[in-house]
Order: sequence, then structure tokens, then C-alpha cells
Amino acid sequence: MNRFAALLAILLTGHTVRAAEPDGYESVALPFFKVHCLRCHDDKQKKGEFRLDTLARDFGSQQTAERWAEVLFRINSGEMPPKKEPQPKAEELGKVAEWISARLKEGEAARMARRGPVAHYRLSRDEYGHTVHDLLGIYFDVTVPGAFNDDPRWHGFDRIGSLLSLSPSHVERYYRAAETVLDRAFPAQQPKSETVRRSADDGKWKDQGHAGPERWLLWPDSGRPVFNVKTAGRYRVRVQVSGLPSFKGRPPHLALWHNGLKRSVVGRDVLAPEDKPGTVEIEAFLPEGSFTLRNESPGMFSDGHTLSNTQFTFRSIAATRQNRPTGYQLFTAEGQTIYPTLMIDWVEIEGPILTDADKQKRDDLLPAKDGDLVAARECLARFASRAWRRPASEAEVDRYIKLLQAELKAGESFRSAYRTAMVAVLTSKNFYYLEEGEPTKRRDAVSDWELASRLSYFLWSSMPDEELFTAARTGTLAKPDGLRKQLARMLDDKKVDRFTDSFPKQWLQLHRVGQFPPDPELYPDYDKWLEQSMVLETTLYFGAVFKENLSLREFLVSDWTILNPRLATHYGLPALKETQFQHVKLRPEDHRGGLLTHASVLSLSSDGTRHRPVHRGVWVSEAIFGRTPPPPPPNVEPLEPTPNNKPKATIRQQLEAHATHATCASCHRKIDPLGLAFDNYDAIGRWRLREQVQGGRGDDPLASARGALPNGRAFDGPDEFKKLLADDLDRFAEAFVEQLATYALRRVMTLDDAPHIKAIAAASKKDSYKLRTLIEHLVTSDLFRRR
Amino acid sequence: MTHRTRRAAVLLFVGACAISLSAVGQEKKDTKAKKGTVPPVPVANEPRLKPGTFPTEPGTYLSGELIVVDPINRRGGLRIDGDAGGRYNNGPLHYFALLPYATVWYNGAPAELRDVPLGTHVHGYFHLPPVGEEQTILPLPAEYQRLAVKHNHAVALEDDFSYYQRRGQSWKVLSVDLKKGKLDVAPTGKLVKDGITEKATFDIDTVTRVWNNRRLVDLADLAAGQVVQLNLGWSQGARDKEFTVSDVWLDDASRAFATELQRRRHVRYQQQRWVPGWIDSVELFDFGGAEITITLFGNMDPSLYADLKATKDTGFWVAAAENTLRTWFHRADRKVGKVLEWKEIENPPPGSSGIQMKLKFAEVLEGYRAGRCVRVKCERWAFVTMPPEERVKSLDDVKRSATLTLP
Repeated sequence: MNRFAALLAILLTGHTVRAAEPDGYESVALPFFKVHCLRCHDDKQKKGEFRLDTLARDFGSQQTAERWAEVLFRINSGEMPPKKEPQPKAEELGKVAEWISARLKEGEAARMARRGPVAHYRLSRDEYGHTVHDLLGIYFDVTVPGAFNDDPRWHGFDRIGSLLSLSPSHVERYYRAAETVLDRAFPAQQPKSETVRRSADDGKWKDQGHAGPERWLLWPDSGRPVFNVKTAGRYRVRVQVSGLPSFKGRPPHLALWHNGLKRSVVGRDVLAPEDKPGTVEIEAFLPEGSFTLRNESPGMFSDGHTLSNTQFTFRSIAATRQNRPTGYQLFTAEGQTIYPTLMIDWVEIEGPILTDADKQKRDDLLPAKDGDLVAARECLARFASRAWRRPASEAEVDRYIKLLQAELKAGESFRSAYRTAMVAVLTSKNFYYLEEGEPTKRRDAVSDWELASRLSYFLWSSMPDEELFTAARTGTLAKPDGLRKQLARMLDDKKVDRFTDSFPKQWLQLHRVGQFPPDPELYPDYDKWLEQSMVLETTLYFGAVFKENLSLREFLVSDWTILNPRLATHYGLPALKETQFQHVKLRPEDHRGGLLTHASVLSLSSDGTRHRPVHRGVWVSEAIFGRTPPPPPPNVEPLEPTPNNKPKATIRQQLEAHATHATCASCHRKIDPLGLAFDNYDAIGRWRLREQVQGGRGDDPLASARGALPNGRAFDGPDEFKKLLADDLDRFAEAFVEQLATYALRRVMTLDDAPHIKAIAAASKKDSYKLRTLIEHLVTSDLFRRR
Repeated sequence: MTHRTRRAAVLLFVGACAISLSAVGQEKKDTKAKKGTVPPVPVANEPRLKPGTFPTEPGTYLSGELIVVDPINRRGGLRIDGDAGGRYNNGPLHYFALLPYATVWYNGAPAELRDVPLGTHVHGYFHLPPVGEEQTILPLPAEYQRLAVKHNHAVALEDDFSYYQRRGQSWKVLSVDLKKGKLDVAPTGKLVKDGITEKATFDIDTVTRVWNNRRLVDLADLAAGQVVQLNLGWSQGARDKEFTVSDVWLDDASRAFATELQRRRHVRYQQQRWVPGWIDSVELFDFGGAEITITLFGNMDPSLYADLKATKDTGFWVAAAENTLRTWFHRADRKVGKVLEWKEIENPPPGSSGIQMKLKFAEVLEGYRAGRCVRVKCERWAFVTMPPEERVKSLDDVKRSATLTLP
């Protein structure tokens, strides 16, 4: 008997190495394998040169995991067991597939969380941008072409250390970014701030006998080139504008459009009567380039020939309504604007503005006198210590001084040589990596400096500020009171908005919103601003729960949300009078409340043409329950459009007819109800009673949102479903803590972390799972300090 | 006022009008000229047409010779028959505009004003100017006011060939006197309500074209007993109700051939300029686009409607048009609409084809408003650039062409 057979014998005779086996192997997997697999894949037959009896169960090993993934693939695809063999029941197949899948997931988590003596966590590109801003008061747009690529994501999280690897192209980009940042921070000559105004009218309208001054009329998607920005920086833009809603109440969206980047840099909804224009003031960082004021509202005006017939000198609707019949129609017979329309009188730009706060950040980083190497050393040490978020050692600073001297020797000016050293600081791994641990000493907890960075990147997506550095330097951060004090201060800082913006985007995978742009034929009123508004509703809602320190329950059920007029129209709610995002009280007939009925969430799980209940179910399972269902089998046939000679069928009905494969059925029974609960919402999150079906005959069928949770509790409609989730708040809270910890610690949670997560959730329960309280429990937990 | 009472009122007012003027549906009892009568005037509360609605009545009958035309804007002037007040030899022209849905017939087929030779005697049905279009035909000078006919918007205009043949009336040749240049005819078949329904004598001369077996033949081929169709024109006798025969068709083959030639001309014309209709309703969307319902005007050759119906799945090109049916630069000034509905209404009102369709547009032209005219093209017809004088080029051009300007 060879040693594999011996092992199998031990397994089969019950002499198991119980402690080494993954959970459920003996109760779930082995009985199935005995009946359906081992007869062929044992030491005797070894069919396909494969033995399942001896396949290692160390799922943390990449090699082992790959072999088990193959087993799962064969089972899922129906290839195994072969058709001629006795076939297992659907539930049996489902259980074993789920068992393998769960073990693979655990193995993956373990591999991703595995840490050496020193762990490196590269900054995500957003964090890079925030860090250079907080370091030097410079805005560096990390999303412009040529800056940084999108970071890889793991279930929405773009800050998982094991995924954020470094390639030569990264180094090149870091170098270019550092040059740009330092050029802007320390220009040879500080650009002078100036104010420039452009008016639609030349002011001579009275002399010329016109009915009124000329105005720029901006219909949807039209714009006026207004100015060039020669120096990137902070600017103040003021616009005198009338904003007339469409005849159905949709407000226009004024956007400052960057012609080079071909996207809006900043925008606002505007509502102001034709005869009482308002002044919109926007302060923002603007990159170099030419800008256009644009009406970013939905509307089709794509034909240049028709546009050329629509051009006219506009003064007022009454004076300018007569238009060529071959131009675009802009006003109703009653003189109302058909589309959201802007009328602009003038635009003014002031800048670049250098604030005292930004100036202060750079003040002590440049030697006052050229040639002063002592001062240069002090300044560089200060710069490196801030940039690297820990004191730079003498030896480290020496290297940069040597670089400076080498540049001088090569004939560079002092300023140029010093700048080279600064570039080197920003292109050092110490800058773009968060390092935890020491190569020479194994330790399980983070140091005070590392803790400061953990905190600041968790809550501010950026480097610690001076006070946090001081707390780390003096050791007060290590003390519970000191940590709480810093935490409270940080939670009240404006920079925490970065957390309330970034975390919900990652947790809820909002990057998927708009990934499949909705078919304009089916969803003609969908546009970029609606898409942005959808995401903003969710992040601002999260921010409101955070600021008011509300319970996690509000994420599941609530009688309020945060809307702007565009979304209120989209949801069919009464029109809002104010243009900004605002707290809106919801009525039961609005069918909204909680995150799950946000248009963002409902559309991210849809494709461009229809809602996808299975994807919605997977999303709910991941985001709310913290569980990733097994992947679908390969080569699954997609749902076919309903033939014209067949009655129209809902996707639910098609799915029911589709899930005939035993393995599919067992999983879909668990996943689908979680998504079908939202069948009353279409692919872009609008409420509906009937499902719009392309093709087929007869009326569109009624949507049904009935179902039952895996535990058997039945629901009829999204409200009942959400209530069932809210009744099981403990489960959601644990899943939420796991997501929060993943974000904060920049690694995937493992089985080892589970007790900590449970403990944090349990501690938070005493305070009704209030969000800020829960964050406090996480930050002050052992888990947060573990490395 | 009902149709019958209004007719009675007209009869009462006009009396036994000697000229070929009759109110709606009036039976002609006497074709002899009677001097000293006045032209028809609107009866009290006579309904006025409104843009976007078809007439419910056929209109007031007038006949006369086509003297001047503005073929671009579909307007012209008739020397109307009848000598009331010495009108025939001394009166003004009766200026008219074609309603957008008006049909001109020539040689038995749909036509344009440009197809009808000047001097051709025509029959027409006329309405008062539609609301808002009173200035299209300016009032006559004061000295002619007593002879003015206010019904100056035509819904139909037909040459004698078309008018009588389409209604089933022909002419039986009673005698031919080549020496005197006289042709005696008597109506045969189903008699028309308006027009000549009694024996008549017309002039013939060497200019008269005689058609037989699809060819021109000699005047001498005219013979008693033949059943013919003819077209009339001015007579040198210069008396009311005297006409010279311009063309006479002796047989069915010649008549069918003449009709076919005109039908081809008409089909080509409409394919180039697109089939006219107007917009019944517009449902605008504030995110762009609209659903627009269009009714096609009537009396086009059936092949044109058939082309549209056969290709409706590929959508239609719809150009904004003026009331004159002129377009701007129609091959470019148009949008494509996807056909959502195609309905065919039975017994449509005069001017309507009965074809109503709902189209979905992604973009909406200013000219797509309820009551405005459009021209519709299907996929089968080639894009053609119209000659410059036909195209509307500016809003000033629209203003200029809003009023008839002819001598």
C-alpha cells in the first residue's frame, strides 16, 4: 500500500486528522465524494490521472486551490459525476459546490492577508492625490489620462495591499507626477492672481435699439467656450445665469467643462427665473486647459446642420421665439422651455488663488538662500519626514543630500539640484508605500507612526496632520485616551468627508454604476449627471448617517433620503424647489428608504437594457450578508429575448424556466430571491408595476417581488424584504464591520479575524449600532492595532 | 347652419347665377349666361377653416380659365366664368391659393399647378381663407370690390378632362363642322352636379389636338357619334361660356395614356419633394425627442402610399414644410422618425388620405408643431436637391411668400 492509499484508508476508516481538516469536510464533502467520486478517482482507478482522495486540503496553498477550483468547475459544469453514473440530488450538489467554494474563498483571503515581517501597502491613486494635497497644498488630478491607471479592485475595494503591486510603469508615472506636483508647488515665479470677466453682451444694446442685452442661450449639451487656464490651481468662478427647468420641471445643470479632458470638472443645478438671474459661485481646483460653460442636461442635439439653423442672437424668450422651422424646437407653444435651459449673462474667473493654509504647507520646505546646504538638509529632512509619515533618519537624509551635491557638481543650479532631491523623496517607496513592520524584528502590533498613518488613511485617505504626528511622536496616540481624543478630532475634521465618500463607494461597489451605459432607446432620460447624482445620493446618505451618528439600521430601512431635483424627478417624487442635495422625507407610496432602493444600487446590478435579479441577489449577498456566492458554472446560456410570437415574460419567469441544471437550481434558490425582491425597480432604479419587455406579444407583464429568504421567511415586495433584513441587524452589523475593517486595514479579513469582528459588532450593539460608535470600537480594538 | 339651409341661402342670394358659379352641391339647371348677377359672397356664419383641420364641406364651385400661376407657392388667378356685372370681359382675375391639402388634377391624374398649361379651363372648389391666412390673397382694389369672390382658397382644381371623366360624364359628338370650326356635343353618362350638363357648341380649329389610339390624328378624324373627353380654353368670340377645344381624346387608349403620362409625372414630383401631410399632435419629451402624429394629405397616387406602407419598418424622413408645401433644404432639414403606429381611416374628410401615423423622433425640429405641414419620404426614394427657387432660404423668404404677388 502506497502512502496515498494509506492516507485514504485513514480517512475512510475514520482515523482522521480532525484538527487539520477544514470545517465541514467530513460532514459535507467526504460523504459526497465517497458516493460519487472516489470510486474512479482513488488509488486504484486514478481516472484522468487524478485522485481526489489524496488531494490536499490546504486551501491556503495556491497550487492546491487551483486543483480544487478544477474540481468545482467539473461539478458545476455537470461534467462530473459522468452521466452514466448515479446522479446526486440538486441539494447534495449544491452543498458540496458551496463547501468547496467557501474553502477556496477562505484560502484566497488567507493568501491575500498573509504578511511578512514588513507589509507594504501601496497608496491607491485617490490616496496619492489627497496626500500630495495635504503635503503641499497642490491638487493633482490622478484620473487624467497619463496620470495613474485605475487601481485593481477586490469586491469594490481599491486599497487592498496584496493587489496594489508596483510595476516599472508605476515608477515612471510616480516620477512624472512628482515633477508636476513640485513644479506647481514651487514655481520659478508665483503666478499672479487675476480676475477676468466675459460678458454675453457688449453693453451697447440700448444704443443699438435692441430689446435687451444679449444672453448666451444654452440648451442641453450645448456650451460656450469661456476661458483658458494657463496655471493649474484653485480658482473662483462666478456666473450670472438664469436656469429654466423643462416644462416638466427638470432643472438645468451648469457644468464647467474641460475641453481637453472632455468632462465636467465641477457642476451645479441652477434654478433662476429668466428675469431674475442668480449668481453661481464655484471654487475648485482647475487643471490647465480651455473650459466651456455647458448645459449638461439630457437632450438630443447632435445634428450639426440642424444646430446651424438654430443659432440666433438671443435676448429673451419672448423676443427670440421665432425660429426657423428647420432648427431645433426649444420652446413649447406656450413659451415654456421644452428642455432644461440656461441663459448666461457673464462669467468671471479669479485665480490662481493661493490660500494661507496651502502656502503654510510649503513655507519651511525651501532653503531661504541658494547654496545653504545646512538649511537644505533641514528642509529636506522636514519634507521627507512629512512625506514618509515618520521621521527620516540621518542616514536616509544623507542619501538625498549626496544626490543634491551630485547635481550641483554636474552643473545644475542650487534650486534645480534641490528640486531633484525633492523629486527623489516623492518617488521613494517610503512615500507611495505605507510600510508596517520591521525587517529585523517580528512584531504583531503597529508602531505609533504606523498607527497614525492607519488612522489617517482610514478616515482621511491621506497622511496624518501635524497634531497626529505629534501624538505619535510623544506616545500619546498609543494610550487609549490619546487615541480616542485623536479619533474624535479626526471624525470632526472636514477631511472625514473623504471617508464618507470613499468607503460607501468601495463597500457598495458604486464604481459599477454606469459601467454598462443604459440603452438610450430604452432609457432616453438617463445622462451623466443623473448617474453622478445617483452615486452622490448614496455617498451623501452615508455621510448623513455618519454625521448624525445614526444606527446601521438606516442603511436598510428609513423614511428619508438625500436627493437633488434631478433624482426627485427620476423617482417620481414631488419637485424640489432648491437645487442642491437635500434631506427629503419619504412617504410609503414613494417606495424608497435605505440604501437598497437607491437608484445607484439598483442600476449597478443591471445591464444596459434590463435589470438583472441574479446580479442584484449576488450584490445583496456580498454587501449586506458579507457572503460571496459560488461562481456560476461555465458556458451558461444567456436569457434569450422573448420571441415576437410568444407572450411577454418577466425575467423572473425566464429564470424559472432557465434554472434547470441541478447545481444551478440549488444556488439560484438562495441568490435569486435577494434580487427578485427588487423586481419593482427597472434597470435604472425607477419604480414600476409592470416589467417592460422587449419583443413578445401582449401587454407588459406585472412585476412580482415575492420570495423567501434562505431561512424560509417569506416576503412580498421590497418593503417587507428590507424589514426582514432589518430584523436581523446583528448579522448585517457583523458583515458591515468586516467591510469596514477590510477598508481600514487594507487587507482581506480571514477566519482569524472573525472573533475580533464579532466582538466589535457586539460592543457596538449596546449603542444600537450607531455608525460613529462602531468606528470608535473598530479603531480602539485589538484588530486595528494588529499587523 | 346646416348644409341644406346654407345652400338655400346661397341660392337665394346669388339667384340664378348665369356664370358658372354655384354654391356647394348646387345643381346646375341652366347653363345659359345670365347677365347682371353678382358673385357669390359668404353666407352668414359660414365656417372658417383652421390650420390643422380638414374641411367638412366640399366648398364653393367656381370655374374659369387659368391665367396666371405662381407654381412655386401654389397660387394663381382665374378668369372665372360668368358675366355678372360685366365681369367676363372687364372684371379682375380671381386670385387664389391652393390649400396645403388641395389637389390639382390634369388629364385625369393628380398634378401640380405647373403641369396645367396656362389658358386651360378648370373647375374648382373654394373656401374662405383659413383663420390667420386672410392676407395670403390681398383684397382687390376698391373699383373691383363689387366683383370680388371671397372664396379664394382652393381645395381642388381640375381641367375639364379630369373633372368630367372622374365624375362619369363624357361628351357625345353630335356634329362636326370643320368649315365653321364648330363642334356640337351633348353630355352623356353620369351627369356632373356643377359644370356643363347640356348640349354645347365649342370652337375647333387647326390648333386643336385630336388624340386617337395614343397618337395625334387629324381634325378630320372627329366624327359624329364618338364619345370623347376634351379640354377647353379661351375662345376668340370672347364671350362668356364660349370655349375653344384645345385637346380632344377620341378613345379610351388615348385617354388612359394621357392619364398615365401625368400620373408618372406626379409620382416623380412627389418622390422628389416627398408626400405632404400635416401634424395632428406632438407629445414632447423634456429629455429630447417626441412622438408625433401625422396625417398624410389625400389624392396622391396610390403607389406613393404603398411605398410608404411597405417601408414603414425602416422609418420615415420628415421635412418641415410651409403651407405652400415648400421645404427648406429638405434632404438635410429633416429628421428620421420610427413608425410606432400606422392607421388607415375609412371615408376621410376632403383633403385627407385617411392615413395617420405616429412616429417617434429622437430630435424635434421647430417645424414639428401641431397644424404645421411636413413632407414625408420613405427609404425607397432617392434624396434630391430641389432647385433654388423652390427652396425656402430664410425667415424673410417665408414672409415674402406669405402673400401672393402677381399682376
